[in-house]
Amino acid sequence: MTEELVMILDILRGTSYAMTPLILAAVGEIVAERAGIVNIGLEGIMLLSGFMAVVFAEMAMNPWIGVLAGIGMGALIGLIHGYITAYLKGDHIISGLGINLFALGTVAFGIEAVWGVRGYYTPPLEAKVPIIPGIEISPLFIVMILITIGTYYLLYKTSIGLKIRAVGENPEAADVVGVNVELTQLLSAVYGAALAGLAGAFLSIDWLAAITKELPAGRGFIALALVNFANWNPILALGGGALFGFFWTLAEWIKNMAAIKAIIPVTLMNTIPYIATIAVVAGLIGRSRPPAHVGRPYKRE
Amino acid sequence: MGSLSSLKGKLVLLKGTLEKLVEIIFAIIVGFVIAGLMMYMGGFDPIKAYAAMFETSLSLTDPYYIAMTLSFATPVMLTALTFAIGVRAGLFNIGAEGQMYMGALGAVIVASWTLPGPLYLPLAFIVGSLLAAAWGLIAGLLKVLRGVNEVVSTIMLNWIAFWIVEYARVYVYPNPIDASKTISMPPPGRLPLLIRGTELSVSFIIAIITVFIVYYLLWHMVLGYEIRATGLNPTAARYGGINPKKTMLWAFIIGGIAAGLAGVSEITGRPPSYAITTGLSNLFGYGFDGIAVSLIGANHPLGIIPAAIFIGALSAGSRGMQTTAGVPLEMVKAVQGIIVWALAMPGLIRLIRRRMIRRRGVEL
Amino acid sequence: MPRNDTIVYMKDIVKVYPDGTVALRGVDFEVKKGEIHGLLGENGAGKTTLMKILSGLLRPTSGEIYIRGRKVHFKSASEALKHGIGMVHQHLALVPAFTAYENIILGLPGKVIDRKKIEELMETTGLKIPLDAKVEDLPFGVRQRIEILKMLYRNVDILILDEPTTNLTPIETKELFETLRNLKKQGKTIIFITHKLREVLEVTDRVTVLRRGRVVGVVETSKATPEMLAKMMVGREVVFRIEKKPARPGEPVLVVKDLWVRSDLGGWAVKGVSFAVYSGEIFGIAGVEGNGQSELVEAITGLRRVEKGQVILMGRDVTNKPPSELYRMGLSHIPEDRQKLGLVLDMTVAENSVLGIHRLKKFIGKLLNMKWKNINVHAKKIIERFEIVAPGVRAPARSLSGGNQQKLVVGRELSKTPVVIVAAQPTRGLDVAATEYIRKILIKMRDEGKAVLLVSADLDEVLQLSDRVAIMYEGEFMGIAKPEELTEEQIGLMMGGYHMDQLKNTSSNRKVLEAS
Repeated sequence: MTEELVMILDILRGTSYAMTPLILAAVGEIVAERAGIVNIGLEGIMLLSGFMAVVFAEMAMNPWIGVLAGIGMGALIGLIHGYITAYLKGDHIISGLGINLFALGTVAFGIEAVWGVRGYYTPPLEAKVPIIPGIEISPLFIVMILITIGTYYLLYKTSIGLKIRAVGENPEAADVVGVNVELTQLLSAVYGAALAGLAGAFLSIDWLAAITKELPAGRGFIALALVNFANWNPILALGGGALFGFFWTLAEWIKNMAAIKAIIPVTLMNTIPYIATIAVVAGLIGRSRPPAHVGRPYKRE
Repeated sequence: MGSLSSLKGKLVLLKGTLEKLVEIIFAIIVGFVIAGLMMYMGGFDPIKAYAAMFETSLSLTDPYYIAMTLSFATPVMLTALTFAIGVRAGLFNIGAEGQMYMGALGAVIVASWTLPGPLYLPLAFIVGSLLAAAWGLIAGLLKVLRGVNEVVSTIMLNWIAFWIVEYARVYVYPNPIDASKTISMPPPGRLPLLIRGTELSVSFIIAIITVFIVYYLLWHMVLGYEIRATGLNPTAARYGGINPKKTMLWAFIIGGIAAGLAGVSEITGRPPSYAITTGLSNLFGYGFDGIAVSLIGANHPLGIIPAAIFIGALSAGSRGMQTTAGVPLEMVKAVQGIIVWALAMPGLIRLIRRRMIRRRGVEL
Repeated sequence: MPRNDTIVYMKDIVKVYPDGTVALRGVDFEVKKGEIHGLLGENGAGKTTLMKILSGLLRPTSGEIYIRGRKVHFKSASEALKHGIGMVHQHLALVPAFTAYENIILGLPGKVIDRKKIEELMETTGLKIPLDAKVEDLPFGVRQRIEILKMLYRNVDILILDEPTTNLTPIETKELFETLRNLKKQGKTIIFITHKLREVLEVTDRVTVLRRGRVVGVVETSKATPEMLAKMMVGREVVFRIEKKPARPGEPVLVVKDLWVRSDLGGWAVKGVSFAVYSGEIFGIAGVEGNGQSELVEAITGLRRVEKGQVILMGRDVTNKPPSELYRMGLSHIPEDRQKLGLVLDMTVAENSVLGIHRLKKFIGKLLNMKWKNINVHAKKIIERFEIVAPGVRAPARSLSGGNQQKLVVGRELSKTPVVIVAAQPTRGLDVAATEYIRKILIKMRDEGKAVLLVSADLDEVLQLSDRVAIMYEGEFMGIAKPEELTEEQIGLMMGGYHMDQLKNTSSNRKVLEAS
């Protein structure tokens, strides 16, 4: 009895970890896409921010400095991406590809440059975000929930949210009534990337407590799929992310069961989250609706 | 009159090409400068690093280095074609990575068979490229039938391919002698080396030929015509009696074949392993490098050849950079990323030029 | 000259678009405070351009604007809005996914937002709307009210309405007019853009009539008659007459039976249209744009789904067949938007010269390769025959001027040796010489025994070229007749929504108008 309870709690705890980075990145991207800016560089931002978080957390021997560094790194990337897409009217996808490629090289380089090891580094315990005693979950899980609810409030209950959504739906209509389309887009892109940065910090100095050059392992792109799945709504992203996280954890758990391991090797089971993501997105057709003007530059006259 | 007007046409074309070239060179300079700053901040000497990089990649003092450069150019030239064909059809197919894994797996499958010697090579190429094409087709079908965005689907398929191939490496085709890799391609199935003692094999020539075939396909065949029309203006393509969905599927298939050839050529043409190694380490990243190559090469097959050699030189030179200047060799990937990012800024040069003119105007 | 009660005064406004199209050729426009002012004209007369300039969306090439006697230069629509000028566009500037309330308050700082004030405004103006319903779920008429309310909430007192009744039902139209009169009573100034005579007569105080970028006249509505306005609006200034022999029509080649087609928005764009085009004749479709002509053409040419009815080409039912099959049967389609549909602008002239016929044996070899030699020869032939000014066959189509792009499309379509030619707005935006050239070619095609279906918003063009003409209004034909049997007034009236039967059954048109 107690053994089963422990098992269930284990899976739930695992879910709380697995869902956090997905939802953070997705909620941020929802804001950006609501304003019309697509960022397929979430994966790269998570990686870069994860790296910066470790560097700063270790330097200060304080995990919260690391978390801030991760957010800051994300915001910086978001600022550049936002400038390219909103002001220079550049291609959203190519800029996002640039972020991903840049991150891949920079972090692999950085790990070696900073710690002199190849591809993998574990920060000291003091740099790791502590667990909330008693309930044994990460404080960043709570932060994620608050951010999600706060973002929902921002998008749907404030005049700023109205402007953000208007810009992504019909920038012309927003422009006519005096909304600064470009600035709104830039700030939304920064917000989105900052949250992806937080997700990266969570991966490197909290959950996985390590930095590798494949830190996000596709989570940035799964977050993109989650945005779609959640129909661009933060609250639905919370639910969807919990579902993704739960199945991910379950798969992790099952694949390590001796009985299963004998039949299906772990390596094959590793494909499950990715197959599930595709299946979910393919099953969505017609039910989700992206912001009408997403991913396209807005040009007057 | 006629010749004059055609000359004018050529000049218009030339001006466009030149502008693009300036833009690319500018992006490359930006990439090197920013990466240099990063090295400096990391406590390295960027000038020493770049010098070493050049010495060990493009310097004519030792043909070994040139050979290494070309050998690294080979797979990325092919994966670049995957991305380029996609862009020409209006798609962002970033699945070359996974399709390349599948191609390599195909070659390993053939390597595991007992066959008359001369059959290994052709079968490896056929099985590998078909497997990769099928992998690309999945993303195509998801796009055409279910409207799944190809950026998400191809990335997911990359990871799925990674784990499937990794599974096959460990469980299905393990090397009985060396646990760190799969069964090696038997010697009759290996492509001859172009320069002994290097990793440069005939696969480089195959890649070049493939580039020209794709060029021919895109600019001299009906399918290429239809692909380009679809990518440039799907509405007009439909008006022109072209079925854009069918065209897109073909773009995924052909892109898959190109990526597959990259995988096969790594198994049949790169010493010493002639196999897939642990964690796909000898394949990992070629697909993504291909995106950079394609973008630097203006998504044009003929631009891809010099771009691939450039990226190949970075990869080859990164080793020298590491030994001489102590800079981690992954630095070159950061350079690539910055270049692509700089390329995403349209009219950046125009912007700078305008600002310069304005400043000069004030001085006057 | 402006007087004391003049609220808007636009002086000598010229607008030349970047592509060289001259939309306004020196327009003086004056509106008095508190009046409903009609702005009447055909397509391309410059009505919308003039009002876009007034509302800050476009900048004039030259000319001056005075609002309440003060000179203004608007850099954006939001600036004009601050001056109390708001324009309600045909495609409303609303966010469909938002509620009415959200649309009204969009962009306003939090402290200004006052729901009670909106509700009061709804009371006083009679503009009743469900504030919390999503705009996309509401019928067009209600959306329009939201847009007007949005303007009023922002203290707009010069309200511009661009063809506001286009998508309204008769009852909604009546309600709108009620509202406008109401607003006028409250001291608002209203500018009403339209081509519908009946509406001008019903609701406006004064009318300015525009034709081809010039003001034709300003009249007090009470002194105007529909005949007079129709003549002013349509009025001939014939640039050239086209010589044409009498038609010798043969067999029916293209037959359309009870065709029903939907618009992009899902409503019916074509409502049960039937007609036949005979070989050796030009069948014209006239009418103000947006009355279903585009959808009709797309349905006939295989680009839009036919929901009901049939398209028969040379005796064969080709309803919902793909374009490639229609082309093989001898259909040529000169599309209305050459840049979006007719050409791939970034492909070369040669490549564009075979779009749609690129799979002909002449152009592809055994390896499915393009025979560039033949294609280049083909392109050169078109260039020569149609006197296209191009830097060469390998130059991108984008580098050609608008007129030459159109000639390229026309040349390609006629090179197909067609049986039926569907030509939509074939001379739009072209200069006089190119226009004349293309018109002559259409006549020549007719004389060679081809069937030509001509759709044009240019009334002169349709009437001069066509052997028979249909006038389309709101997805239906108001009548089919020989152009010479129709008077200008009759055509103007049909374009404005009167059925031909109504006109013919009475001796005097005036009576019909009074009766309705």
